Amino acid sequence: MTRVLATYNIKGGVGKTSAAVNLAYLAAREGARTLLWDLDPQGASTYLFRVKPKIKGGGDRLVRGKTDADSQIKGTDHERLDLLPADFSYRHMDLALDAAKRPTTRLDRVLEPLKPDYDFIFLDCPPSISLVSESVFEAADALLVPMIPATLSSRTFAQLRDVVGDTSQVLAFFSMVDGRKRLHREVMAELSAAYPEILTAAIPAAADVERMGVERTVVEEVAARGRAAAAYRELWAEVRARLRP
Amino acid sequence: MSRPRRALPPARAPPDVPDSSPVSAPSESYEVTGPLDPAAVAEALAPAFGLHAEAPVRHARTYLDTFDGRLHGPGLTLVHEGGELVLADTAQQTVARERWPRVPKLLLVTDLPAGPLADALAGPVEMRALQPLVRLSSREQLLRVLDGEEKTVVRLRIETPVLEGGARLPTHLHVVPVRGYEKQAAKVLRRLEAALDLTPAAGSIADDAVRAAGGTPGGVSSSPKVPLAADDTAAVAAARVSSRLLEVIEANLPGTLADLDTEYLHDFRVAVRRTRSLQRELRGAFPGDALREARARFKRLQAVTGDTRDLDVYLLDFEDFAAHLPEARRPDLEPLRRLLRRRRAAALRRMRRELRTEETAATLADWRTLLAAMTAGEAGGPDADVPLLTIASARIRTVHRQMVKAGSAIGDDTPAEALHDLRKKGKELRYLLEFFAPLYPAVVIKPLVSSLKALQDTLGRFQDREVQAELVASLAADVHKMDDATSALMAMGLLVEGLHEQQRAARDEFATRFAAFAAPGQGAIVKETFA
Ligand SMILES: Nc1ncnc2c1ncn2[C@@H]1O[C@H](COP(=O)(O)OP(=O)(O)OP(=O)(O)O)[C@@H](O)[C@H]1O
Ligand SMILES: [Mg+2]
Repeated sequence: MTRVLATYNIKGGVGKTSAAVNLAYLAAREGARTLLWDLDPQGASTYLFRVKPKIKGGGDRLVRGKTDADSQIKGTDHERLDLLPADFSYRHMDLALDAAKRPTTRLDRVLEPLKPDYDFIFLDCPPSISLVSESVFEAADALLVPMIPATLSSRTFAQLRDVVGDTSQVLAFFSMVDGRKRLHREVMAELSAAYPEILTAAIPAAADVERMGVERTVVEEVAARGRAAAAYRELWAEVRARLRP
Repeated sequence: MSRPRRALPPARAPPDVPDSSPVSAPSESYEVTGPLDPAAVAEALAPAFGLHAEAPVRHARTYLDTFDGRLHGPGLTLVHEGGELVLADTAQQTVARERWPRVPKLLLVTDLPAGPLADALAGPVEMRALQPLVRLSSREQLLRVLDGEEKTVVRLRIETPVLEGGARLPTHLHVVPVRGYEKQAAKVLRRLEAALDLTPAAGSIADDAVRAAGGTPGGVSSSPKVPLAADDTAAVAAARVSSRLLEVIEANLPGTLADLDTEYLHDFRVAVRRTRSLQRELRGAFPGDALREARARFKRLQAVTGDTRDLDVYLLDFEDFAAHLPEARRPDLEPLRRLLRRRRAAALRRMRRELRTEETAATLADWRTLLAAMTAGEAGGPDADVPLLTIASARIRTVHRQMVKAGSAIGDDTPAEALHDLRKKGKELRYLLEFFAPLYPAVVIKPLVSSLKALQDTLGRFQDREVQAELVASLAADVHKMDDATSALMAMGLLVEGLHEQQRAARDEFATRFAAFAAPGQGAIVKETFA
């Protein structure tokens, strides 16, 4: 059975792409056939995998089922890990979805024929609340939600749970954690107490993650022994264990 | 054939990897004469592509398969490597893996923990034992072909295998395309072929290794097929088919004695039964006295192996039987299973004793001598020189006619014996069609065999369920003496009922199956083809 996991947050720059890329890499390394769909017109994950951000015919035709997704998939540098690249035209995806019938089921329909080929499909989403995110909620079995432990987090989390509703499982975790900041420690303690379902694995703020963008690769290849790599391994183990059967 | 499952630590987290279609295109493999230097590859690809060579690694790999090559057939490879069993498909994509610290000497699917590997193997392997075929130690180097963005667009794997014992096999260069970069792969291939001395690899490294170690890639077949011609004489044809069957018997004898899995004995017995059928059907081709003795001796071989096989079938089907009981009652059958296992162990001991006698050795040796003499034209019976086609057609026609007649006489009240007799005749016809298929058009043989097979399945189930029900009933006295007897006896009562129900269902199917087999159109074709 294929699991669809989407990294999501209403906010930008919280570590969605970093999580999608590193977790997808870990899944593939373990032996799972894995696909990452970079839904963000900015194409950050596509860039990290050194793939051209190009979908033939554009995102419009793709989400409306006019382009065969299968033909647009690229293998990455890592065995078993494939990428469905970003395209600049994804910035109009909301319009494309709006024009389609039953817009929120569109992404699911694009993924359906790919499922026999993959054990995990990751969706790397742009930050927003939109038709795109609604479609993502519909398509995903679980949302992986990175949260920077700042004052607003608590409210954001509650708000997020309202937006998502019950359609997919929410797996929230702390991202870019700076253990030296008292604020971070306090917010984490408070939130974890209020919402015990928040994952215990947390991603520290670390130069290794930033260096992914420079070296254009996954954190395991930047510094396998570093704290950040270890944190993503822990996160992946916890996510896998928490996924609903 | 369920041995206790070995408890194992959980595997290195294999996710639910189902039986898979390959994600990327299959790879091309080449043989290279002499060593292959990454620098030479880099030069061949520059300046269009860059090359990143990873550090060479050593792999000790043991390839496994069943005696009859059940993985080789569908193009699967099972390798033990680095404390893991890894199953790969034709495209060399990993299908499933499982932690398994040591190379298994003998591995049944039921020995594996439930999971993707057990699931992927269950279909092709069934009840057969996986055994090491050959052990290789390879030096392997991965070269990544890069585009202008330093993105991997093709993977090259240089594999230099050394057979256990030191024999070096040809170096292989595997060109593994990356999905979505097919154009680049084609370009890389063209450049490599132009610059390097490459020949497309004839077979897989595993096959090379098996051959180099003196084995046959694909395993040992138990098929009775031999080439036959219409104008072969009966004696020569009889000797050729019998010799092939004797090969199968002898090939399966060691595994039967060692009790590696249930199918050695099964194949042994099928070949013995086929031999006996041939001895009957082509009796005029054999010299009378020698045949009389051989028939008695092969009858003995079949008799001394019967009990073990019956119990094997019972144990193999045990789960299916149990499935007819309500879930909560199933564990109650365990005493019965234990008893069957004990019986089988005893039957195996008796069978081994019989198969290791002088008499068995003499049976096979004398038969081989006789067949050689027949092949050389030095021995034969009254029909030795009759063309095979004449005898084969006459026998097929006759047995078919007898079956149609006997089957048509069967009604709802006909005693079970009549169905059992019809099944025997059906086996006879089945063997005739198998032996002599090469003499006739496939368009006739195929549908005939398939309608016959469907009929035989039904008749087989009808008889087997009866025998099994009788066996369970006969074991009641012994189970009675066991500790957990009461619930076991109740479960056995339910089981016998279930078996009888299946038997009745088989009987209900009979009329339809037989009608398909005896359809007038088919009869006309039989008359014409086997005239
Ligand atoms: N744990 C971390 N430590 C340090 N820097 C990080 C960490 N995680 C992410 N970053 C950096 O923060 C920036 C944003 O991260 P990322 O792209 O993963 O977030 P995002 O949520 O996908 O952003 P966007 O909303 O723009 O898609 C990147 O420059 C990244 O290198
Ligand atoms: Mg992003």
